[in-house]
Amino acid sequence: MSVTQTRTWRQVSACVRTHTAQGEGFRWLELEMPEGFETPVAGQFAQLLLPPPSPVLLPRPMSVASARRSRGRLLVGFLYAPVGTGTRALAALEPGAHVEVTGPLGRGYPLEEPGTPILVAGGRGVAPLLMAAEALSRARRRCEFVFGARTKALLVGVAGARLRLSRMGSRLHVATDDGSRGTQGTVIDVLERLAPGLEPPLVLHACGPHGMLAAVAEWAMARGARAHLAMESVMACGTGVCRGCPLPRSHAARDRVLAQGASANALQGNPEWAMCCTDGPVFESRELDWERVS
Amino acid sequence: MSHSERSAPRPIAAGRVDLRVRIGTLELRNPVLTASGTFGYGDEYAHVVDLTSLGGVVTKTVTVEPRSGNAPARVAETASGMLNSIGLENVGLARFRDEKLPRLAKLRATVIASIGGETAEELETLLAALGASGSVGAFEVNFSCPNVAAGGARYWADPARLEQTLRRLRRHTARPLIAKLSPDVTDIRETARACEAGGADAITAVNTFVGLAVDLDRMGSRLGRATGGLSGPAIKPLALARCHEAASAVRIPVIGSGGIVTGRDALEFIAAGATAVQVGTATFVEPGAAPRVVAEMREWLAARGLARLDDLRGRFSATAAQEPAAPVAAESTR
Repeated sequence: MSVTQTRTWRQVSACVRTHTAQGEGFRWLELEMPEGFETPVAGQFAQLLLPPPSPVLLPRPMSVASARRSRGRLLVGFLYAPVGTGTRALAALEPGAHVEVTGPLGRGYPLEEPGTPILVAGGRGVAPLLMAAEALSRARRRCEFVFGARTKALLVGVAGARLRLSRMGSRLHVATDDGSRGTQGTVIDVLERLAPGLEPPLVLHACGPHGMLAAVAEWAMARGARAHLAMESVMACGTGVCRGCPLPRSHAARDRVLAQGASANALQGNPEWAMCCTDGPVFESRELDWERVS
Repeated sequence: MSHSERSAPRPIAAGRVDLRVRIGTLELRNPVLTASGTFGYGDEYAHVVDLTSLGGVVTKTVTVEPRSGNAPARVAETASGMLNSIGLENVGLARFRDEKLPRLAKLRATVIASIGGETAEELETLLAALGASGSVGAFEVNFSCPNVAAGGARYWADPARLEQTLRRLRRHTARPLIAKLSPDVTDIRETARACEAGGADAITAVNTFVGLAVDLDRMGSRLGRATGGLSGPAIKPLALARCHEAASAVRIPVIGSGGIVTGRDALEFIAAGATAVQVGTATFVEPGAAPRVVAEMREWLAARGLARLDDLRGRFSATAAQEPAAPVAAESTR
């Protein structure tokens, strides 16, 4: 894995095609991208910059939830919850409005990895996994999709996920903390129940709150399974330049970085911190020190 | 002379505007540099920015040993600005010299290497190792990082220490030495004069301002360390005032920095006495911000028939607030 990482991201002006409410408190945004914007893969993200006058200075990193072509045009979708100043202003954009988009950024899920794929989503972390399910379906691969949330109202995009999964005979497993839908419990409870019936090796691809990802990582490491986890961080540039989004590397990863020096996966060779934006946002469970992930 | 009597400026072609400036012995194609820490080692943006369209690339501050940087959170957005607490994360001298500099040289960028140290000796080590490098056009000495426990802005705020250190550094290189100063001093004219006396070829005014953002839910800082450095449009008026003060106190060139987003922002610094400018945080928002600033400066000057940056430099006058003294100041655009 010592290939030099070539940078292909661009900043482009994209046009809002669809912008609708979805589920309780979520928004679905689909942007039409101009030529020259590379097709993102599941797990990658983009930086969205509001048109002026904007109430915020910095662009907002957002996980890509879909990428499709329609009449020769690339359409990129995002599923988000307007919770802060920036995303609330974004929620007000009407179709036809323009947004500056920098991307695709970061490393996505290695969906080609051999094994039985299990997609694990927590709440609004479902966005990149909807795209992963679509990609696996297109590659004619079956998968298990585990979707957990506090309560059924937060199972956003569940209908779309079911539709994508049904094509390949893949299965959706829902868990809610309050038992309002599916199993009462966590995604770990579902994994415990599912795992014995699946053919090893298991490869997990997950996104959700860091607490859930830490639990998934621990579960996978204890069973010798691989788990690829899409992390979040506050960011400024999103391109590896500002060094503003560190995540703590594990001891093993630290030793590897020190041995490798300047490789693709240790872009700037920092043994202590990985950058969420360029080393991630998807990390294999053994790359990070989960006790120090905040 | 009233407005109506003054002859309207005759526009010239933008291509005729000469933006070249000189920092010591180094001639820059134009006055727009990237601010250290906001453009990596240059190659990160090379696929979207033609580095030869810039006056120069100021690289991320390099220290003798590699540094891992501070614990998260390292950035926090505030009103029209951002706080950072990166902590001088960098690859260290050896990898900077062996990997980063050759890549930059291949991209034909004018390179200004930013160096940082906790002592004068460390800075001397860096200059001794890099001073003869053909790919470094000038050095910027980071005397003003607000985010490190030792060798930061507070340590280097002492004029006597600055002067003595620059005298020692001067012996190691004939290339221009630029001293980047902190705005968080009682009187930036004193630190600027000390640098000039010590042999600096130019001053960069200014680095980030120390700032704090409180997270009321946790009753703690929004950064991993209590304070960080504030940058972005929020600091432009503050930086402009410090830059103007520094430029009025020394004869060496001053490079203005702080909140520059547009060509007009940059020209305000030039009018206030700066020779060149640096674009920093704007690059995080728009990777192509620095070359756009160059183009906007050129257009503004061309529209007013100003063929040289010298026609504008230092034209700002503190007493001209009421009655415009010159056509360039009287023109209103936008």
